[in-house]
Order: sequence, then structure tokens, then C-alpha cells
Amino acid sequence: MRRGGSLKRIRKDWILYLMLLPGMLYFVIFHIIPIVNMKLAFQDYRIIGENIWVGWKHFEQLFSSPAFKDVLLNTVIISTMKIIFIFPVPILVSLLVNELRFGPFRKYVQSVSYLPHFLSWVVIAGIWITLLDPLDGGVNVIRNFFQLPSLDYMTSKEHIRWVLVYSEMWRSAGWDSILYLAAILKINPSLYEAARIDGATTLQQMRYITLPALMSTVVTLFILNLGFFMSAGFDQVFNLMNDSVLSVIDILDTYVYRIGILNGQYSYATAASLFKGVIGLILILGTHFLSKRLTGKGVW
Amino acid sequence: MRRFGITKAVIQLILFIFTLAVLIPLFNILAMSLSDPARVNELSGLGVIPKGFSLINYEIIMSNPFIVKSIFNSVFITIVGTCLNLFLTAITAYVLARTEFVGKRLVLVVLIAIMVFEPSMITEYLLMKDLHLLDSYAAVIFYKAINVYYLFILMRFFQEVPNSILEAAKIDGAGHFRIFTRIMLPLSKPALATLALFYGVYHWNEYFRATIYLSDPNKWPLQVVLRQFVVTQDNTTLLKGVEGMTPELLAALDFGSLQSATIVVAVIPMLLLYPLILKYFTKGTMDGGVKE
Repeated sequence: MRRGGSLKRIRKDWILYLMLLPGMLYFVIFHIIPIVNMKLAFQDYRIIGENIWVGWKHFEQLFSSPAFKDVLLNTVIISTMKIIFIFPVPILVSLLVNELRFGPFRKYVQSVSYLPHFLSWVVIAGIWITLLDPLDGGVNVIRNFFQLPSLDYMTSKEHIRWVLVYSEMWRSAGWDSILYLAAILKINPSLYEAARIDGATTLQQMRYITLPALMSTVVTLFILNLGFFMSAGFDQVFNLMNDSVLSVIDILDTYVYRIGILNGQYSYATAASLFKGVIGLILILGTHFLSKRLTGKGVW
Repeated sequence: MRRFGITKAVIQLILFIFTLAVLIPLFNILAMSLSDPARVNELSGLGVIPKGFSLINYEIIMSNPFIVKSIFNSVFITIVGTCLNLFLTAITAYVLARTEFVGKRLVLVVLIAIMVFEPSMITEYLLMKDLHLLDSYAAVIFYKAINVYYLFILMRFFQEVPNSILEAAKIDGAGHFRIFTRIMLPLSKPALATLALFYGVYHWNEYFRATIYLSDPNKWPLQVVLRQFVVTQDNTTLLKGVEGMTPELLAALDFGSLQSATIVVAVIPMLLLYPLILKYFTKGTMDGGVKE
């Protein structure tokens, strides 16, 4: 299409641009401008007047700060724990739910297991703080039943990361199984019939039919999960955090919140954000292209 | 043949225990909030039946003007926010899904870029400050006026509307705006209902942007107030402005139970909508292939 042609088309389609305008204004003002403004990481913030360019100053400060190293390490540890211990659980749940006949029990299991996904982290924090209460919380009731001493999980540096893992599992194990279940439902039922005729047990059917059919969904979700690796679950940590355990669960986003929003060191905090964003981007693009190369399938 | 039956039974048992692990903590909170404050100490951490029965906790939080205000604030943010979300998402989805125009590819590329790179909370905060939106609901509502994932779900739905219907309208002389309002929107009621639930749940549960953008406590939504009680253990606010509070009554109260009652109030709207959510969300998520 030649330039004159384009102009003519733009004029003819003016109503489309008018309809698109509110949405585009939103994206430009509330997404693109704050992204462009992340150049603040290379500037000193000024309340009045233009910000001053300072190059890599804030990054140098960041990488020489022991606090930042701790925060980075916490983020990596918590995310790794979550990937190892939480990522496989919804797959397992979907395999188990798939073995249930369609009926009231299956409906009950699904309805109940999806519920926590719709609770805010504030509510979940409230529920878990009660559940882990050192005096009469449910978990300690069980421990005492087995003659074990009560533990104060919420203030224990040893246990708090596991609290993050288990509470996230509690929230998402059911809901995250939906996509796997959807993939299972697409498997041709005749495969199972043939396997049964050959005498395959339930477990063998899972192992040799269901699981292989789930692999592409597993890969896609794994890549998407890696994209959130540097986030490590901000809302969760923000609501389950307290002073006694801050040093072991302080992650990048809570650090940015504290030094930026609370202490007003805007440039320094933006540098930490930018670092997080770039690593996240590299992870998601890297795994996307790697997956495309290996399996011919990427995320988009 | 026997082994077969045992495997199934074990699977059912595992899943049953899993559902108990979800339900017991929830019912324990409910039982705490409904127990007689004098007897709540007898309630075990795994107990699901209230010890005695009393609505005193609910009476107190409902007579706290600060909490009542926050419930109205949440309802306001949720309703106005969701309406704006639906309008912006639908009109943008229509143009992107059903029309051809110069620059469409660029718009789509930018949208995908937005999905993989989020702005910093610092620059977002400074933007709200520069726009003089701090301490106004506009900041909380505009922060996520369109969710790109949901936009793509709706686009996919719009693309499935048969072309023949749109062509017929065009021949009758209808313009794009008319086609959008008179044909596309009425045909997409199920998809729009799904998105309304998606967005509604998001707004009702949102607390972080409200925490940093709204410094006037009278503007706080319920989740921020709840966080104040549960996470920061601020019991003063919990009783501020409650009339007829005598020292005897104060001594008889149990703060844990009051917190539980507030949690229940924050969860009730979700429970009321849950049957609808189950019907639409599960379907929407399966169709869209999106986890959010």
C-alpha cells in the first residue's frame, strides 16, 4: 500500500481510531509512560526541576550493598523452592481428579479446591496466622496430638519459607490444575480403552498415557512460571512478613517497596526494579526460544 | 481386579483429605467469629462448630463507622472499576478483533510487550503523584483499567462471532460503533459476564495499590482495613468510634474473634458469587488457556 493510500484509509476509518482512542490512551499513560520513566534508575530524583543523569551510579550502589545481595538470594531461594515443591502439585491433582467419575464427589473436590484462589492474600494471611498460632492453631493441635511440642512458625526463621511454600500450595494447587485437566479431557478415550484391554493398571495408564499427553502444557506453564521467578510472590510475602523473619523472606519487590515507597529513595528503588524486570524478561524470552528450538513450541 | 479398586479408593481418600485441608481452616475462622467470646478459648484450632453462639463480634464491627465506610468504599471501587474495565476492554477488543486498520500490527506488538514487561511500582506511584491522582479512587481504578490477558480472551470470543451477521449489518448501513453496541455486545453477554467476574474479584481483593495511593484512612477499602487488623495487629482502629463500649464489654471481647468476623465479612461477597464464578471462570479459563 502506498503512502497516499494509507492516508486515505486512515481518514476513511476515523471512527475505528476514535473507538480505539480510550484504550490506547490508557496503555500509553499508565503502562508505557511509567516504563519509559524507569530511566529514573540512571538519574537522581529531584522534586523540583529536571532529574540529573548519573549513569550507573545507583546500580553500582545496588550491587555493592550487602542488603541487596541478601534480598536477591532470598528471592532466588524462595522462587526455587516454589518451583520444586509447588509446580508439580497441580499436575498431580489433575491426575488424581481425572480418576474420579463425573458426579457429586468430583464436583465437590473441584469446587472446594478452587475456592482459595479467589481469596485475597490479606484474607489468606489472616487464615494462616490463625492456623499456625503457637498456642491453639490447627497445625499445633495436630503436632500436640502426636506428642510433638508446639512451634511458632510465623516468627521462626527456619520455618517461615516453608510457610510461604505451603500457603501458596494451599491457595493454588486446585485452581492451577484446571489447565492440566482441560488438556487431559482432550485425550482420546480409546487410548485408555486399549490400555485397559491390555491389562494396564490405573497407575500405568497415568504414567504412559496421561502424563505424556500433558507434557506440552507442562512446558508452557513452566516457562510462564519462570517469567515470575524474580517476583517470588510479592503479595504473599508482603502479608505474611513480620520483623522477626524479615531477613529471610525479604524479596526484591518488598525491598523496592520499603526503600522506594516508604523511604523515598526513588532512583535507587527504580534501579532495583529495572534489574528485576530485565532478568525476568531474559528468563522468559530465553526459555521461550529454547523451548521453540527443542520442542517447536513456545509460549506465544 | 482387586488392586484396581484399592487404587481408586486411595485416590478418593487423598483428594478428600486435600479438601478438608482447604475447608477446616475456613470453617475454623467462621466458628471463631460466631462463638461466645467467653467460651472461644475452648474452640480447638481444628474446631468447626462454634462454642456457644453469639453475634456480638459482627454487631461490633458493623457498628464501627470506619469499617462500614470501608465496605461502601470497596463496593464503590468494585462497581465503578468493573464498569470502566468492561467498557474499555470491550471497545478495544472489538476494534482489534474485528476490523482492519493501518497500525494494527504495531498495537498488537505493543500489547504483547506490555504483557512481558511490567513498569516499576515506583514510577507508577510517581506518575499518580504527577497526575495529582494520589488519594483519589481514580488512581486505584485506572491502575488496571484494561488487563491485557482478559483483552485477549475477549478478542478470541469476538473473533468467533460469524462474519455473516456483521456483513448483513454493514449492508443495512450500520457503522462500526452501531455494530459494536447493537450486535457485538448483545451477542457476547456470556463472555462479558465472565470478564465482569474476573475484574470484580480483582477489585474486591485489591489492597496494595489502595495502600500506597490512598493515605486518607476514610478512603480505604475493606481489604486495607482488614490488613490493618490482621497483619499489623492494630486493635485500636478495630474499636475506634464504636458506641456504647464499656470497660466490661471491652474486657469480654476476644480480638482474634473480631478479626475472624472481619475476615468473614471480606469473604462473603466472594462466597455469594462463587456458584457463578465456578460456572463462568472455569469455562473462561479453559477457553482462554490463561492462568491469572
